[in-house]
Amino acid sequence: MNKKKWNLAPYLLILPSFIYLAVFFAWPMVRSLQLAFVRDSQILPVLAEADPDADVVGRLEMQTQVAVVDRTRLDEVLPNGRTRPVYWFKIVGETEGGEQIEGWTHQKNVFIESRTTSETARVTSGEGAKEWTLDYVERMINDYRFTNALKTTLILIVLILPIQFVLAIVMALVLQAQLRGSTIFLYIYAIPLGISDLAAGLVWVSIFTQRGFLNTFLQQIGIINEPFIYLSADHQNWMIVAIVLAEVWRATSIVMVIVVSGLQAIPREYLEAGELFGASLWQRLRHIILPLLKPSLQVALILRTILAFQVFAVVVAITGGRVLTVLAYETYRWYDPGDSGFNNPNMAAAYAGFIMLISLAFAVFYLRTVRTQEEAARE
Amino acid sequence: MAEIRVENAVKTFGKVVAVDDVSLTVEDQEFVVLLGPSGCGKTTLLRAVAGLGIVDSGRIMIGDRDVTYLAPKDRNISMVFQSYAIFPHMRVFDNIAFGLKMKRTPKDEIQRRVQSAAELLHIESFLDRYPSQMSGGQRQRVAVARAIAVPTEVLLMDEPLSNLDALLRLEMRAELKRLLAELKVTTIYVTHDQIEALSMGDRIAVMRDGKILQFDSPTTVYDMPADRFVAGFIGTPPMNFLEGQVRRANGAIEVYIGDYALKPIPEMNETLARYDGQHIVAGIRAENMEALDTPAEDALRVTVLVVEPLGSQNLLTIRIGEDVIKVATHPDFRAAPDQDIWIRFPSSKIRWIDRDTGRALVPDLDKLVS
Amino acid sequence: MTTRTLDPVQRRAIRQRQLRRASVYALAILIALWILLPIWLIGTMAFSTQQDVYGYPKQIAPIPFTTETMEFFVNQEGILEATRNSVLVAVITLVLSTAIAAPAGYAISRYFFAGRDAFRLGILAVRAFPIVILAVPLAVTFIEWGMFDKVYSVALMHTALTLPTTILVVSSVFASIPREFEEAAKVFGCNAYQAFIRVVLPLVIPGIAASAIFTFVMSWNEVFAATLLTIRNRTLPALILYSLNKSSLQFQYAGGFFMLAPSLVFIFVIRRYLFNMWGQITK
Repeated sequence: MNKKKWNLAPYLLILPSFIYLAVFFAWPMVRSLQLAFVRDSQILPVLAEADPDADVVGRLEMQTQVAVVDRTRLDEVLPNGRTRPVYWFKIVGETEGGEQIEGWTHQKNVFIESRTTSETARVTSGEGAKEWTLDYVERMINDYRFTNALKTTLILIVLILPIQFVLAIVMALVLQAQLRGSTIFLYIYAIPLGISDLAAGLVWVSIFTQRGFLNTFLQQIGIINEPFIYLSADHQNWMIVAIVLAEVWRATSIVMVIVVSGLQAIPREYLEAGELFGASLWQRLRHIILPLLKPSLQVALILRTILAFQVFAVVVAITGGRVLTVLAYETYRWYDPGDSGFNNPNMAAAYAGFIMLISLAFAVFYLRTVRTQEEAARE
Repeated sequence: MAEIRVENAVKTFGKVVAVDDVSLTVEDQEFVVLLGPSGCGKTTLLRAVAGLGIVDSGRIMIGDRDVTYLAPKDRNISMVFQSYAIFPHMRVFDNIAFGLKMKRTPKDEIQRRVQSAAELLHIESFLDRYPSQMSGGQRQRVAVARAIAVPTEVLLMDEPLSNLDALLRLEMRAELKRLLAELKVTTIYVTHDQIEALSMGDRIAVMRDGKILQFDSPTTVYDMPADRFVAGFIGTPPMNFLEGQVRRANGAIEVYIGDYALKPIPEMNETLARYDGQHIVAGIRAENMEALDTPAEDALRVTVLVVEPLGSQNLLTIRIGEDVIKVATHPDFRAAPDQDIWIRFPSSKIRWIDRDTGRALVPDLDKLVS
Repeated sequence: MTTRTLDPVQRRAIRQRQLRRASVYALAILIALWILLPIWLIGTMAFSTQQDVYGYPKQIAPIPFTTETMEFFVNQEGILEATRNSVLVAVITLVLSTAIAAPAGYAISRYFFAGRDAFRLGILAVRAFPIVILAVPLAVTFIEWGMFDKVYSVALMHTALTLPTTILVVSSVFASIPREFEEAAKVFGCNAYQAFIRVVLPLVIPGIAASAIFTFVMSWNEVFAATLLTIRNRTLPALILYSLNKSSLQFQYAGGFFMLAPSLVFIFVIRRYLFNMWGQITK
């Protein structure tokens, strides 16, 4: 490769993708870390005299309550030559360290009810300062909803993934059996690939809601006498069941497609040799198919785990997000500027960073543990 | 006793008839080669015997058991696959032991059988390796070792040498032949390589379009092909065909190729007489003609088109009437393009073929006996 | 066909084979029902009368059949606009993604160059990345750049999400065209450009079209980023998600069916290419 003539063409061809991903992928990643770990805070320098050039006697945090002990009115010259009156206040306040500070500050830095009469004020602005902080992360970890979200997300993964993989392998094997009409089966099995998580959630709401299809069915076959309310705060286990079913229903197809591709890559002669040398269906699955599928299963496992950490709309549709919360919903809730959200991008970024970290940890874990024996033998 | 009997086997894929009412008996410990061009149904037939594809109708017997509908594992057979099908995720040892493990053979016996199979194929030092660490030839040996490690009386081989390069193929051919003679198993061997078939088989079944055209020993198939297809498929170069006309002259039957008269052996007279006045095809192998550089009374004068010196022989391409044929001569025979030479046709070596049906004509035995 | 009588062993063997075949069939149909039944049920809701949507016990089919519920949904404030936004976003995403990805896919499949494997690996990693992580900082960045709450900014985000997939699919489509085709075209008198246009392009167009459709579907379905990036110019999923808590069951069912229906068609169209799309990611 290296001895060949230097060819510019491939680099030109990948350049647009490279630039695009740099701007809309790599940069946001950096920005995300910045949001999560850097506080864009301001701090107010308190001055010795009512003069912008005076010495700084100390610094106060934003939102500090201060007593106004003195005030003075000065005329400030505007750029157009006119003057306007501004107030300077002598304030007394405590730093975070508990140190008492007394000094002067400009009116623009504090919130005060009445410039002439109020005796208290609140610090609202100051000098910009960027600093590394673990505050957001700490706040996230100490939030009880974080623990709940992490717990629910992990429970969902533990319940969903095994069902998904067994079902996907069964689906793939059925497709590989080359039944008459297997293309139709393939189409049907692939339909969920195109169904959004939100739509899937709504589909299962129609089944699990109180006046829904599940109650209709159970009542008709006589298991229950009156409709049962599955999706309520009192029956969180039923909510989990509904979410698991919706996710298995929606997201098994992707695993199935990966497994089918993996199966197709296994030469038919391997299976025939297995059959010929006396392996039963189960033995063939265990000794030949599954070992050879390992790389495919590994990829599917990583992909599905990462996606499972982002489970969002299904949960919102089924639970409303309040009763049972998941990591992605918390991210959304912290970011959302609307009525139900906190409009705090920093916290949202902290959650996003956590999701990335835990996804990465799982991916690495899978890659290390699900190694093929062959690779192990080579080392 | 493991004689294999195929009776009236039919297998279709959609509209294609892959195996068309084939019957075949392989004697105990015999080595039979299924030979034919690709798509002739030979692999389908082998797979039907293996149980990897069930025949639509007909019957397959191994020994005195009817195995037509049995699963492969219940047929007590073994097989070498075309692409070897050596499992990439198992070490060589486990590959060879696979069939034994599936049959729950005791550990020490597995050890013993794997060891001896590996020794027979000279791969005993590779038992700890993975297939990806081996060459194609070595993998081929693993495939054979796996097949012979299981105790069985029937061994099936599906073009086992076709993925090897020419030199290795030559070497493996001889080795397989020796091995199989030692093992005393009944073998069906599928190939499209006629040299492989001639050199290895006790008998060869030549197939085309789902039917067996001829089932005979290699020498018979070579010398006495049953029809024009077999004659043309087997041998390098294939048998030559010359078109002639049968004429009865002075009570004797003669076949005229242009002005030149061929005299058939007397045993054929009766049969050929029925073709009086009609056209017929004479088949003769390149090495069975005699080339002369001087005129002779019973020799035909021809013009040389191409001379191919092949070392052990010179191969001449000559034209006779409409037909172009190949003649093999001694390497010392001097000839050049456009030069005239004379060819003599020994009548005992000529195979007579019906022009329309392509079937070779046989002496009228009834008449001879009576 | 021979009309030989079968002995019991063979009859049992044949019956076993038939039984096995039948049970595989039954399994296949069972799984198909598992997927189709919920779709049928929400479809039933979407085409039932208002009384039936709230009624209990539920009917298993929309009788009487009515478009009243769907009409109710479509006539809700903002739905048509959101649908238009969604289509617009998806189309921009499709065009951008395909235009940027196609050359890269071609490069990966046809050239050997230093850094090729690294690029491929990077793309694979990017594709597995959680959207959640990207959406928050992108929303903040878009606010800073004055691009917040715009249709095109959602499309830019979706392009970042679909680009890796598209690159990999396109490269697999190109890789499935033997290089010999191009070489043969060159031997018979085409220059590199002609060989590409006349021989390669016609062969890859169906695959690339399938990948474009899949891109469309991914964008049409995406809800998290769209919700974060918009306030007034919501896409359809974003609008539905946002109004979930204050919406009626009619709205939810009809909305669910409305979002789901196109995928039935799209997946059918691209079903042959599914393995091109996902199959090669193990390599």
